[in-house]
Amino acid sequence: MFKRFLSLEWKQFSRSSYFEKGLAIKILLILGALYFIACFGVLGVAAFFMIQDGFPNQDPLVVVSNFLIFWFMADLAFRFFMQQLPVMNIKPYMIIPIKRKTVIHYLLGKTTLSFFNILPLFFFLPFSIVLLVQGYPPLNVVSWFFSMLFFTISLNYLNFLLNKNNKFFYVILSILAGLVLLEYFEVYPISESAGTFFYTIYQKWYAVSIPLLLMILLYRRNYKFIRESFYLDDAIRKESQEVSSTNLGFLNRFGDIAPFLKNDVKLIMRNARPKQVMLMSFLFLFYGLIFYTQDTYRDMPAFLAFASIFVTGGFLLSFGQLVPSWDSEYYKLLMSQNIPYRKYLESKWYLMVVAVVVSFILSTPYLYFGYKIYSMIAAGALFNIGLNSFITLYGGVLNRVPVELNVKAKAFSNTQGFNPTQLLIALPKMAGPMLIFYIPYKFINFEAGILTLALSGILGLVFKKFFFNLIEKVYQKGKYKTIAAFDEKK
Amino acid sequence: MIEVQNLSKSYNNTQVLNIPSLDIPKGQSFGLVGNNGAGKTTFFSLLLDLIQPTTGNIKNKDVIVSESEAWKPFTSSFIDESFLIGYLTAEEYFYFIGDLRGQSKADVDELLSGFEDFFHGEILQQKKYLRDLSKGNQKKAGIVGSFIGNPEVIILDEPFANLDPTTQIRLKQIIKDLAETKGVTVLVSSHDLIHVTEVCERIVLLDKGEVVRDMMTSEATLQELETYFAG
Repeated sequence: MFKRFLSLEWKQFSRSSYFEKGLAIKILLILGALYFIACFGVLGVAAFFMIQDGFPNQDPLVVVSNFLIFWFMADLAFRFFMQQLPVMNIKPYMIIPIKRKTVIHYLLGKTTLSFFNILPLFFFLPFSIVLLVQGYPPLNVVSWFFSMLFFTISLNYLNFLLNKNNKFFYVILSILAGLVLLEYFEVYPISESAGTFFYTIYQKWYAVSIPLLLMILLYRRNYKFIRESFYLDDAIRKESQEVSSTNLGFLNRFGDIAPFLKNDVKLIMRNARPKQVMLMSFLFLFYGLIFYTQDTYRDMPAFLAFASIFVTGGFLLSFGQLVPSWDSEYYKLLMSQNIPYRKYLESKWYLMVVAVVVSFILSTPYLYFGYKIYSMIAAGALFNIGLNSFITLYGGVLNRVPVELNVKAKAFSNTQGFNPTQLLIALPKMAGPMLIFYIPYKFINFEAGILTLALSGILGLVFKKFFFNLIEKVYQKGKYKTIAAFDEKK
Repeated sequence: MIEVQNLSKSYNNTQVLNIPSLDIPKGQSFGLVGNNGAGKTTFFSLLLDLIQPTTGNIKNKDVIVSESEAWKPFTSSFIDESFLIGYLTAEEYFYFIGDLRGQSKADVDELLSGFEDFFHGEILQQKKYLRDLSKGNQKKAGIVGSFIGNPEVIILDEPFANLDPTTQIRLKQIIKDLAETKGVTVLVSSHDLIHVTEVCERIVLLDKGEVVRDMMTSEATLQELETYFAG
């Protein structure tokens, strides 16, 4: 039976639209995956020696053990947002004579092979090998490695429950929040005891049974959960959400683009994929920290300009590049309804501008790094509003990939709304501000660079009408192609 | 109201629609029948400028649909679920359409109150997003959505499919009323010969993209259609 499932699975995989995507994307995705594998691998080999250098008085394994709790928590959080649960299309199997047991075991077994489970091994395996070479007792190291493997797979099953069961989600969330609070207010040093715990697992090789038991327990819990809800009206059915009623009357002040704005706000609040984008763009706010805190970049202001664009432009870049794909599910309605293209585009533009302004307000704490950095962020925000917003809208029309709104984007296998043209369009969005800043900076001074960057944004605003005419024309021209592309079955 | 001239549509040299000429006067209820692949949806998509004609054009109240957008204010349609916005509730959807067509909330509410029977208590105040409604209820919402804003032309693709018998009967009455009393030009396609002969004054039969019959509905029409389709 498993063999037949596997063959169906293979057909699903090889006949999916994924394979019909261009070669360039496939190569990019493979490169992306390889990049992460390489990062983890290199870290796995180097970690031991890096820790030896950094903490000469401590056993590197102790240091690693202390960090493991954070590692696993990050892993879980990452999974929760990114990992797509493999819901095999169970419906057809319900009425043919296959034991439910078999279907469920297969379903759960399949999740074990997720990239999320394999990736950590590229760290743990080389790290364990280094430990062996360094003369750590083989039995303990091997059992430690398996413990890590079992913990990782446990997280996999835990994530399954978290996603499927709200009660479970809130319980785990409160436990984690409680632990963080205990640690933060120094009531009880959780990370320290977790460190001791993970180190003990190494010291006593038979302690590998703890994660093994945990894994089995979670597997059985999952099994029970799916078994109980193996009916059409339960887990298999698409979840229907409670309606969140929202009063967006305050948006009426935007006049005739208000209906679109209200729609877009609802789009973001009520669909999984846009919510993900929201979260990502919030994280972009912290992008500056990577650059501003390092002395290396202090002397390379062009890179600081690059980072500044991201601080305020996270939403603009990640949401904007999928205009008009966000509306792909009902694009025919928009095209046949009484809607002037201009208004539709303008509402998207306002949305992005508002997002930049909000991000700019939220970025006030960057004042800590001095007025130079902050003025750079301000200039970046102006550039985002005045030029990047138009470039992004312009690029959107070249992007004709339908987006499924209420489906989370899959990490590493997500090609929805992603194509090489998108990359080309992304270039001026990122390299442009660097150049605009760098040239006057090089020939005059820092302030001149900032001023030019800000002025270029204002100039863009002055020519707003011209840009909109241009963009509208491009959208009109591509209309039929876009409708046809959005109409294709996913 | 609607004039078709030399209209044809081909995909890779395969002709899927070829209508040399067709006139639909104002206030006519017009039925389109034909087997799968006959070109019904293609015709409607051309009429809504969702695809480009290979040759010829369609005029909607003297506006060439592929050249100007001026037909949009008085034309509305429901072709399939891609005319619904899945993450809105039915009310929000109706108000959104109302906003687009210059109808206030009160206008929309007044229109909706006339459809309480039709909705059968399953559409309004449901606290459900449209994407979570059943296929039949989605269809009801979409059809009523196309009545908002006093359109002069209404295009409905397969409106009877997926509807329960009660709703089918009510819908027939609604469509008849629209054409007879309000002078709305209603274009309907259907696989159900009985419904379409009951509702439409005129029926055009498409086969492989060509008009093979064009008749005013009479007692004999149903019989004639059945004979044709029985082959």
